Amino acid sequence: MSPLWLDLVLTVIVILAICLLSAVRLGLIIRLFAFQSLVMAAIPLMLGGGFGVHNAVIAAGTILIKAILIPAILFWAIRHVSIRRDAPAVFGISTSLLLGGVLVGLSFLFSSALVPADKPFSDLLIPSAFATLFIGFLLLVSRKKAITQVVGYLVMENGIFLFALLLLETTPLLVELGIFLDIFVGVFIMGIVINHIQSEFDHMDTSQLTTLKG
Amino acid sequence: MVARLAVCLLLAPFLLGIIGKTKAFFAGRVGRPYLQVYYDVFKLLQKGSVYSRTTTWIFRAAPLVSLAAVLASALLIPFGGWAAPVSFWGDALLFAAFFGLARFFMMLAALDTGSSFEGMGASREAAFSCVSEIVLFLNFATLVILSKSFSLSQMIGERSWPSWTAMGPSLILVVLSTFIVLLVENSRIPVDDPATHLELTMIHEVMALDHSGPDLAFIIYAGAVKLFVLGAFLVAILVPYQSHHRSIDAVVFLSGMGLLAVAIGVVESGMARLRLDRVFAFIIGSFVLALFGLIVALARVL
Repeated sequence: MSPLWLDLVLTVIVILAICLLSAVRLGLIIRLFAFQSLVMAAIPLMLGGGFGVHNAVIAAGTILIKAILIPAILFWAIRHVSIRRDAPAVFGISTSLLLGGVLVGLSFLFSSALVPADKPFSDLLIPSAFATLFIGFLLLVSRKKAITQVVGYLVMENGIFLFALLLLETTPLLVELGIFLDIFVGVFIMGIVINHIQSEFDHMDTSQLTTLKG
Repeated sequence: MVARLAVCLLLAPFLLGIIGKTKAFFAGRVGRPYLQVYYDVFKLLQKGSVYSRTTTWIFRAAPLVSLAAVLASALLIPFGGWAAPVSFWGDALLFAAFFGLARFFMMLAALDTGSSFEGMGASREAAFSCVSEIVLFLNFATLVILSKSFSLSQMIGERSWPSWTAMGPSLILVVLSTFIVLLVENSRIPVDDPATHLELTMIHEVMALDHSGPDLAFIIYAGAVKLFVLGAFLVAILVPYQSHHRSIDAVVFLSGMGLLAVAIGVVESGMARLRLDRVFAFIIGSFVLALFGLIVALARVL
């Protein structure tokens, strides 16, 4: 059986993703994402290697970039465009929560079909990676404001990070640092893009970008 | 057996006192005394009842039926080292059915008054409880899978540390969603505000509006016992410790219940009541958590 603490941390990550589906205020959405990243930073320290330099750098990088820098940029962005609430989603909160439940079920179904070469540290690791990935994708496609879509993308990335933990011992540190840098630059650019959408159209509702402006 | 009944019947209203004091602490007030609910019940028992001419026997029977159903459900649940007096294969269904019966009669009584206001409360109660009941049953299903038994006495209570270490994620999800069910079933704050009589906020309170005297006392007391029973269910899952010393178990259980009441008070102080359509999202969120718990249990066991 897999260690209890790792299981609990993975469960909390998925619970936070489900909470994100029900959140409407942008500040809360960003804080939930920051908290999810903070919890996720504990995982590399719990895996097989223990307190190696590699694991410690990954954990510290996750906290620094995902739990501090990126939320700070996102808070800066919503302060600049001065909005507090997300527009209503394409479908209501109840529907997106139910869809989230379906996606959690599907992620367990998919991961039972996958047979990892190495035995993973916890049998929950792959399902919760899938669930976080799918829920992030659901946020990305169902919300209308650019900020929530960015958070959806970041939650997806958290899911991918969970997957990558399977390969923690074989991936060189340089590759992981490169990924961190990519995400950071990506969010930085998206923050600037959001500001430009705002200054050009006086809102950041991306569903209206498809209509031409005369 | 006698001690068990005495604990359940006498201490149930005390939980409401603890919740009230916790809320008062956060609001910076002194708050009403711990025993206020006992005073209220005694005061109401000494008064007479007023019945509207439109009401029938259903209106008079409902408080008694709901109190009887809730007391009967208390017999099915083991707590604090005392075994459940009645226990058989499938008693979890009966447990949920007693709550359903109590609710059904309260809703009929509300409709029986002929007041549209009470009808509104009954319709809200029906709408929310039909989702929260599903959540309760999903949690039962998870516990059945984990304990391989369909009797409440085996599903909770005798649970010990091994099942927490192996099934921690499932149990955490069961506890979270059961806590939300507890808030919904007892009409606590994110769902309903027990302290006000405003039309917008009322679900449970509005159904008790036309009851008076002993009937109202029965309703208040049944609400307290219901909170105690569901709380005992939650505490039995959350605190698997059993020393098999009567007094130690009782102390552990009672402090667990006290902490639960404080937790409810903290939630009530920290949250505003949700808008009605948000209440649905809240309950559906607990449904998703319960579903997640069931899936984890299935994935682990099968």
